[in-house]
Amino acid sequence: MNTEQQESYLISSYQLMASSVLLTTLPSHFTKLLQLYFKHKLEELNTIVDGDSEDGCDSLHNERILKYDKLDEMNIDESNYDSVLTKNNCLVKSIGRVVLDLRNIGFKAITEDAYAFSIFQHLKGKVESLAGDDYRTPVLESIKRWIQAVPLRFLHDLLSYLGDLYSYGNILSSFKSPLASSPLSYPGIDAPSEGLVRWQLRLEYFAYETLQDLRISKLFEIIVDYPDSSPAIQDLKQCLEHTGQHSKLVDSFISSLQHRLLTAGASTNDILHQYVSTIKSLRMIDQTGVFLEAVGEPIREYLRGRKDTIKCIVTMLTDGSGGNASAAGNIGDSLLEELNRDTENQEAADNNEDINADDKQAWINAQRWDPDPVEADPLRGSRCRGKIDILEMLVSIIGSKDQLVNEYRVMLAEKLLNKSDYDIDSEIRTLELLKIHFGESSMQRCEIMLNDLIGSKRINGNIKASKLQSLIGTEQGQAMTLNHLDATIISSNFWPTIQEESLHLPSSVEQVLSDYAEKFHEIKTPRKLLWKKNLGIVKLELQFDDRSVEFSVTPIHATIIMQFQDKTSWTSKSLAAAVGIPVDILSKRMSFWISKGVIFESGQAESSDHVFTLVDDITDSNRNGIAHETDGMDEEGERTVSSVEEELQKEMTVYKKFIEGMLTNFGSMTLDRIHNTLKIFCVADPTYDKSLQQLQSFLAVLIEEEKLEMRDGQYLLKKRAT
Amino acid sequence: MQDNIQSGAAVAPPPPSPGTAIKQSQPVAKGSDAQSVLKRLQSELMALMMRGDPGISAFPEGDNIFSWKGTITGSKETVYEGMVYRLSLSFPSDYPFKPPKVKFENPCFHPNVDLCGNICLDILQDKWSSAYDVRTVLLSIQSLLGEPNNDSPLNTQAAALWDNQEEFRKMVEKFYKPSQ
Repeated sequence: MNTEQQESYLISSYQLMASSVLLTTLPSHFTKLLQLYFKHKLEELNTIVDGDSEDGCDSLHNERILKYDKLDEMNIDESNYDSVLTKNNCLVKSIGRVVLDLRNIGFKAITEDAYAFSIFQHLKGKVESLAGDDYRTPVLESIKRWIQAVPLRFLHDLLSYLGDLYSYGNILSSFKSPLASSPLSYPGIDAPSEGLVRWQLRLEYFAYETLQDLRISKLFEIIVDYPDSSPAIQDLKQCLEHTGQHSKLVDSFISSLQHRLLTAGASTNDILHQYVSTIKSLRMIDQTGVFLEAVGEPIREYLRGRKDTIKCIVTMLTDGSGGNASAAGNIGDSLLEELNRDTENQEAADNNEDINADDKQAWINAQRWDPDPVEADPLRGSRCRGKIDILEMLVSIIGSKDQLVNEYRVMLAEKLLNKSDYDIDSEIRTLELLKIHFGESSMQRCEIMLNDLIGSKRINGNIKASKLQSLIGTEQGQAMTLNHLDATIISSNFWPTIQEESLHLPSSVEQVLSDYAEKFHEIKTPRKLLWKKNLGIVKLELQFDDRSVEFSVTPIHATIIMQFQDKTSWTSKSLAAAVGIPVDILSKRMSFWISKGVIFESGQAESSDHVFTLVDDITDSNRNGIAHETDGMDEEGERTVSSVEEELQKEMTVYKKFIEGMLTNFGSMTLDRIHNTLKIFCVADPTYDKSLQQLQSFLAVLIEEEKLEMRDGQYLLKKRAT
Repeated sequence: MQDNIQSGAAVAPPPPSPGTAIKQSQPVAKGSDAQSVLKRLQSELMALMMRGDPGISAFPEGDNIFSWKGTITGSKETVYEGMVYRLSLSFPSDYPFKPPKVKFENPCFHPNVDLCGNICLDILQDKWSSAYDVRTVLLSIQSLLGEPNNDSPLNTQAAALWDNQEEFRKMVEKFYKPSQ
């Protein structure tokens, strides 16, 4: 006994000495070497498992493993599977031997570190190769399956070989164990040991984290691809549920937004599109909208600084199908869809209310309650976070829905005025949707505008009918008849301010217009028609010797070109006089015809009097071809209705005068006092309805323009240097 | 114009003895007239602000549209060039049928302005017409500075000195106290 004890003591102290000598004399790359070894072995194992499925496809293979797991069916393909397992087993045994040997010389810790490291490396590589840049397929499940198929089985085999597992049973026989279908089950492994469970959790967490990091770093692209990329977002959602690293997402996404989206180069449309996608995708990840608030704020802040934001939003809302670019069309669709969705939701909610007893509903709601995530801003309270309304979020960029409605009105006016038929079905639909959202009263003016169009159609029909009855056949010889004229009759009080431009129409057109007005007066006494001659569309055909070309143009363009009917050459001054518009506007309008190759411009650069000549042989100079000939409307980029921005500018000048007036007389005033004074005295058109903040920013602009200065919180007029 | 009179705090219910005297702070007006006076003053304010004539300005004081503060800058090439004078204007409740009361707030050395700042100007007294408004009153006072009526002086010293423009300028500068 004594000698035995001594022997074992000697051996253990010898082992200790040997291992400490070995450890101290180890070359520094030994751990790397070990890692490489395990990596290599793991790859080998992976290929064996991969080779199991004929086409080497991971998911197929995994499904098969799962099938074994679920159905306990060993008969299918048993021989193949066995051979794989044997090979697998051999490999594991050889690895196990190495591990055991290393352990015996006291390298237990190093070895464990090394194979853990290689497994994680391998897993990382696997996640990256599986997830890659493809956002259209969910990958999380296959990753999980892979974890069970390769690293976990390897670990199981290894640990059982090493005797670290409590279950010493035959690996093969364990397949048939009834425990295989228990919730924590592994293919080919029963009664998982604690160590293995821990390994599984570690590996899965690592996989979640890797995938999450991968997805977060590409979140911008993923959101750009939304809704095609929704599988990737679902994956990310699951990962985040496990890791809880939402703040990482917020930080990284905000910084990529700053770099890639919120730059001067991005168009407002793109930003809005991305914003909508962001809302939608984050809504998938986080129902409560807390992270959305955090992410959305920089975008909103930025968009507020852009001038065309409102316009873009309204375009997105209204331009369902007719966007000029395909991308714009898409956005519009999605927003219209959003309007629709809201409506449906509301209806559904109404239905629910009917069916459910209040108590029951309250109970269900109470059960559904979840505390806000820790990142939630406690100041904001948890108000109606549950409902994330895209429109609401867009409106919150603008500040008030009134501005949005106003802009919509202007846009609608523009659209309606440029319509040549009276087809307003899509506008009516949009309006109805907007009405549901913004309330009937705020959309009232728009409704009147649409009614004007409907009324116009009726009156137009009536006038033409009466005209036909009374004057049938008598006006055949006349160049223009009422048949050529369709009028839009508007109640100007309810329309946005329409820009007037004086214009001398050709007498024949003038005649028809006054005929029409007369008829209108007959039908609708005591009302009279006042023409806005610069609005509308003229469809005309230019006949040349060899061909004829059709155009759709504004009345001004038409009037100009009609002047060339009798006289083929005009100086710009005389033409401007004949048409009744200033020379500079004329030359601007003329550029349209010149670009079409219809008119030729000549004249010295210095003299302001140019000569315009009609080009007889259009084919020579008509480089643009016929393809572009109907786009004369948009080319000008000019608006017939004064925009909201201009209106705002107008208001602001009034306020500016008032502010200057009061500061002249009172010297210096505080912001509050200016605000109150404006509120009291600026009551006529336009009424002062700005908030204190708006006033403050306006005053800041005036300070920038060196009109005002501010001292000790008091505003005063800047003294002019004399 | 809007009918929104609620926001202007100037409309008080008609007191028992209307139209006799105008108190400084509480304007007195007949119920129905008050609205038209208010409207008239508001539109005058609007017109004055939008015209933006150089050298003249006025604005209601506090929340009372019946009491205004005015500013007149002396016209160029007069002895008053560069001087800024403050005025107070108070409108009677039967404005514009009665003239507003206008006074200089800071001392002004002028033949037709007394030491208390009272102004002797015909259109502010017997020659008043409802066709005048704040703007014309201010313009008249501005031109009065350059062309005093020396026949009926309130300040005889100034009237006597008027012919000697250099001395007069010195007196103007000596008298002048910028407000605030």
